[in-house]
Amino acid sequence: MAEQIFFFIFAVLAVGSAIAVVSFKNPVYSVLSLMVCFLQMAALFVMLRSPFLAVVQVFVYVGAVLVLFLFVIMMLDIRKARMDQFITGGNFWAIGLLGILIIEMILIISKSRLTSITVSSELRLDGGVREIGEALFTKYILPFEIVSFILLVALMGAIVLGRKELR
Amino acid sequence: MGQEEIRGLLPVLELYLSNPLVIMMLEILLIFIKVVVVTLVVFSLPLPLTYMERKVAGHIQVRLGPMRVGPHGILQPLADMIKLFFKEDIIPSKADPWLFRIAPVISMVPVFAVFATIPFGDKITIPFINYEVSMYISDMNVGILYVLAIAGLSVYGIILGGWASNSKYALLGGLRSSAQMISYELALSFACIGVVMIVNSLSLVDIVKAQSGWHWNIFYQPVGFVIFFIAGLAEINRIPFDLPEDEGTLGAGYHSEYSSMRFAFFMLTEYVAMVSMSILAVLLFFGGWNGPSFLPGIIWFVIKVVLCIYFFMWTRFTFPRYRYDQLMSIGWKVLLPLSLLNILITGLIII
Amino acid sequence: MNELSTDNHKNSSSLSIKDLLKKVFFIDLIQGLFITFNYTFTKTITERYPDDEKWIPYKRFRGLHTLNRNKEGKELCVGCELCQKSCPTQCITVIPMEDKTGKGIADRIAYRWEINLLRCMFCGLCEDACPTEALKLGREYELASFSMQRQIRSKEELIKPQPIPVEFEGGVIVRATLEKGDKEIKVKPDLSVQKRWW
Repeated sequence: MAEQIFFFIFAVLAVGSAIAVVSFKNPVYSVLSLMVCFLQMAALFVMLRSPFLAVVQVFVYVGAVLVLFLFVIMMLDIRKARMDQFITGGNFWAIGLLGILIIEMILIISKSRLTSITVSSELRLDGGVREIGEALFTKYILPFEIVSFILLVALMGAIVLGRKELR
Repeated sequence: MGQEEIRGLLPVLELYLSNPLVIMMLEILLIFIKVVVVTLVVFSLPLPLTYMERKVAGHIQVRLGPMRVGPHGILQPLADMIKLFFKEDIIPSKADPWLFRIAPVISMVPVFAVFATIPFGDKITIPFINYEVSMYISDMNVGILYVLAIAGLSVYGIILGGWASNSKYALLGGLRSSAQMISYELALSFACIGVVMIVNSLSLVDIVKAQSGWHWNIFYQPVGFVIFFIAGLAEINRIPFDLPEDEGTLGAGYHSEYSSMRFAFFMLTEYVAMVSMSILAVLLFFGGWNGPSFLPGIIWFVIKVVLCIYFFMWTRFTFPRYRYDQLMSIGWKVLLPLSLLNILITGLIII
Repeated sequence: MNELSTDNHKNSSSLSIKDLLKKVFFIDLIQGLFITFNYTFTKTITERYPDDEKWIPYKRFRGLHTLNRNKEGKELCVGCELCQKSCPTQCITVIPMEDKTGKGIADRIAYRWEINLLRCMFCGLCEDACPTEALKLGREYELASFSMQRQIRSKEELIKPQPIPVEFEGGVIVRATLEKGDKEIKVKPDLSVQKRWW
């Protein structure tokens, strides 16, 4: 019972802060709300008996990725960035698309097997690190390698884009 | 009440303690008490630490340090605190008022949250009622990851404080801080991985228990310790890596525009971060509360942490400050490859 | 930036093994740490001025003016007004008067002798001008006070015997005690306990 109350607190905060991310006009505030959102996600991971994933979520997203976001955003001219609204009046078709997407998501989630999975109630002693590691390097080795390859390509792309022109 | 009556009450007390509901309530109460005690202790730690820092600085520079308030200046931190309390809290007119107000708190919360998993000693048994009390708030099974992740969050306060001040020096301090934190967090975490590989656990309690009997990790991971220490210095923004508040080039860096208690919060954060980094070093590399048995474990723990803090202060007043590009090149070109190599060699030896 | 990196490269290529070892084991840094550690336990050179210690200047020091008496206790000042005339900032006021009672060494003494310390620059010209060696610049240097009135010192005060005797050599730090009065704060020296830190 207590767990459900906590789940609703975290879930509502996560959704609320996610909405705040796109509705704030000041990008710094958006990043802050994104931080709140990620922290709530980490809390939800803890409730799913996976403290390791929660900590990694905080470590990687909140601790590193968002700091880089802030780093870039602070360089922007905020007053200019405020002028560019995220959803302008003419983009009604975008809102329509959003509605279709929401309906689709609801349909998929209600039909999928995800809702019927029950989470084991005791907290695993090693935080699930071993299971995650084993799954990554045996069962899901191919997707894992593909993801790392894609990341490597993205990294190279960033370096090529960021490199100064050599003359 | 005479002693006889207390003795007579003990069986009743034991009966109560065997009731599961009472035990649960007691445990919740215990956790609450522990949280309050730890928070109060940590909150008051900067007072002796500022005194210590000024005394260390004084004697290294052949001065005396604070001498006038109280005997040997021992009440100086209190006087400073009172002074900071009564100063005007200035908010620059072009600052972002909301973020400006909240930034010191954002930087303060994570450094306190770190103490949730830090073990200060092993279990102790309270006499008379035979009740075991653990010297930590929670033994999280991903303890060290939690500490590193949460400690990294305090950079937000620095960045937001620097940005919200709407001052170029503060902004530059915030930018430097964000770049520095990200660069050195990698090396710091990699240095910890060596220890984790040896101990085979992420829990801080297990890490300390594995080091009992002089099997301190510093003897097995000297390179890891050096990397950890250097990266730790950079993480807590102390000389030689205190670029975010470099008074030579940036005024006071990210807290240029802060005054009064908000400034005090930033200072508090800095000192508590130093304490938690020293505690982490002691837990990971110096065997935590392990030591010769003529003193209780908690005393050994405190002695080691104080020595570690002293070393931080000692380096502060010995070394000059690095230049910013040197800082970055050390972080990425020296420490990171070295820490990766350390992990590789550790792994090879273990196999 | 390019220049810098080539510079680094040149340095690293010319590194001898000894230098490399020095760098790897932080020899220089450890040496520095030892130096500061040794300094931690050397005697401090702090002069705890208002609380415990006070610097007594040399005889040649030019501090607050003193008016002196001769060995028989007669006032040396004859009210000749030469000090007033020689003063470049015109901060000395002298009003002479006739005196047959033998207070002074002649039949003329100073009725009023005042110095305005707010204007005085302690050049010592008055001392040079004085024909009877009555006026000397003493060794008192704590001249701050709570009111402007206090900055005008008159003969009655200046002719009193000085806390530091003229014969005292000076150039030492002595023990002292801080005394807070309602007009000013003074540090009273105790000449019997001296120390030289150098």
